[in-house]
Amino acid sequence: MSVQRIKAGINLYAVLKNLEDLVAFDKEAAGLVKGRKICIQFSVKNGPKAWAKFDNELCSVGRGKAAKSHVHLWFSSCEHLNKMFDGKANPIPLKGFTKLGFLQKEFTQLTKRLEYFLRPENVENPDEHYIQMNTRFTLTIAAYALPEIALYDERAKYTASHLPDGTLQMGVLPDGPDVYLSIKNGKITAGKGKVSHPDAMMIMKNARVANEFLNGKSDPFTAIALGDVLIKGQIPILDGVNLILDRVIHYVS
Amino acid sequence: MKTYSYKKSQELFKKAAEIIPCGIYGHFSPAPLIPVSAYPFYVSKAQDAHFWDLDGNKFIDYMCAYGPVILGYNNPVVESAAEMQRELVNCATAPGEIMVNLAEELVNTVTIADWAFFAKNGNDATTFSLMVARAKTGRKKIIRLRGGYHGVAPWTQSPDHPGIIFEDAENMLIGEWNNYEVLEEFVKRNPDQIAGIIATPYHHPTFEDNEMPAEGYWKKVEDLCHKEGIVLIVDDVRTGFRIDVRGSNEYFGFKPDLIAFCKAIGNGYPISALVGTNEMKEAASKVFYTGSYWFSAVPMAAALATIQEINENDVPAMLVEKGEKLTKGLQEVAQNNGFHLKVTGHPSMPYLRLTDDPSLMLHQEWCGECTKRGAYFTSHHNWFISAALTEEDIQKTLEIADDAFKAVKKNHKH
Repeated sequence: MSVQRIKAGINLYAVLKNLEDLVAFDKEAAGLVKGRKICIQFSVKNGPKAWAKFDNELCSVGRGKAAKSHVHLWFSSCEHLNKMFDGKANPIPLKGFTKLGFLQKEFTQLTKRLEYFLRPENVENPDEHYIQMNTRFTLTIAAYALPEIALYDERAKYTASHLPDGTLQMGVLPDGPDVYLSIKNGKITAGKGKVSHPDAMMIMKNARVANEFLNGKSDPFTAIALGDVLIKGQIPILDGVNLILDRVIHYVS
Repeated sequence: MKTYSYKKSQELFKKAAEIIPCGIYGHFSPAPLIPVSAYPFYVSKAQDAHFWDLDGNKFIDYMCAYGPVILGYNNPVVESAAEMQRELVNCATAPGEIMVNLAEELVNTVTIADWAFFAKNGNDATTFSLMVARAKTGRKKIIRLRGGYHGVAPWTQSPDHPGIIFEDAENMLIGEWNNYEVLEEFVKRNPDQIAGIIATPYHHPTFEDNEMPAEGYWKKVEDLCHKEGIVLIVDDVRTGFRIDVRGSNEYFGFKPDLIAFCKAIGNGYPISALVGTNEMKEAASKVFYTGSYWFSAVPMAAALATIQEINENDVPAMLVEKGEKLTKGLQEVAQNNGFHLKVTGHPSMPYLRLTDDPSLMLHQEWCGECTKRGAYFTSHHNWFISAALTEEDIQKTLEIADDAFKAVKKNHKH
């Protein structure tokens, strides 16, 4: 499977997923969609599909085809979609021409706001809110990118096929965010929040540690030994997930 | 009971992490010691069945350096043999006489051994065994079993690990422990292509209950190998001289062509060996395989003394007695505290697991609490019983285990 296909899956299922938390935890973003009721469908020819639904100050993002969409954005290829996410191409609207104003104004501002939180290198002296948001998004991208990579990256596919079944809880101290990965017969699914009885846990001491760890800037063995990352439970699950996490940076810029 | 803290260990580790990859790498990495805060990272001295860390904490050692120190630290017989040799020569331009003496001892002790070849680590011996099997048969493929540990060379690792490529595993077929049918199927599907089968005498993976061979399993494997011209290799690196001085295969009733030894044969001195039958000797002679320190005489003298000590004192029987006493005692203590402790593997290197929590978190917590009180227990790996372990050590361990169970119960009261 091509790198472009994997990137497209990550963009639609992991990066776009962050709109949910952007609207939920950032007042500026919430203000942009206040009073709006709109569902945008994203479709890539022979590729992934996802939708983003705004209902006043709530946002939900899902895989596949929406039950009812107001706007339909079409992409001729995975590369086309990825270029759009890099700000270098525009989608082809198939439906919802009356809503183009929202797309060009509020939705664009929303994605710019998301990009702002995803690029800490451009922010001098980030405040607590920024760090929280960046950590939340980084963790979400890592968790939701994993299933995509495990499906299509050759090395990750091999790793996933040997993963023991179980649930891995990942989180950041002291108050989250938290995500989890469920593994069944080599298939990985991601979710947000905490599960009651995880089989393995990987908890990062704080937002700084989480950022370094998830972005491949710290060595897991050292981070664990230093007590920056706490692990427990079925370590073979963690070992495998870490191998796949290692692959994330090859696809996420 | 007083619990330990590890300020100096942790400080040194911070410094190490700056200048050594992982700080401490490989099987000594603190990462699987859970929680890491319960474990010391560095040792300052050791004696008999004990070691002391940098902070001055004393531990009853149930890992024996992950296997090698079978007779206890600073065993006087081994140390004196090593010292006498050191006074003569260690690493020189030619091997010492001791090399032949050690080979003779191994040939006389290990039933299948007609010859012995020396190296440094278990991985040297297992990798050489594959090369010998290929040289003997002219075939490429090797069968190994899932969860079996044979070292760190690329062929031993999973191809998705950093630094390993899929081509490294190209000629490896991965079977399952105690599943003879899978081996038979491999042989059927790869006629005249399989050079060897390598496996540990019983299954001792990490994070899993250990498993003994099923009735008749090894005999069937041996027969299959003979019939198909496949070299049968036993990786006795962890088990060797702990279960049976004649080779662990004797305990399980079968005869391999090659056996790889390391760990216990040197009581901490760096040496490994591959032994084999006469049938394998010519192939072993043809393979060019060597290392700068493989002929060092001091480890050979230490190994000779170690093997003689193991033989003279029937150390395997001693380890069984100590191991059974310890594990039965621990099970009783667990039960008295409302927990269930499962023991698998051979008594000289038991694997323990609290079955009350399948995620292993409870077991990890208990092992950590024991370690903080002076009984060094790992939760991911089989333990190793030392011949130097005393009755007093075992009693002290049981007291520690009891206090640790109570601490675990207290931690979970809310």
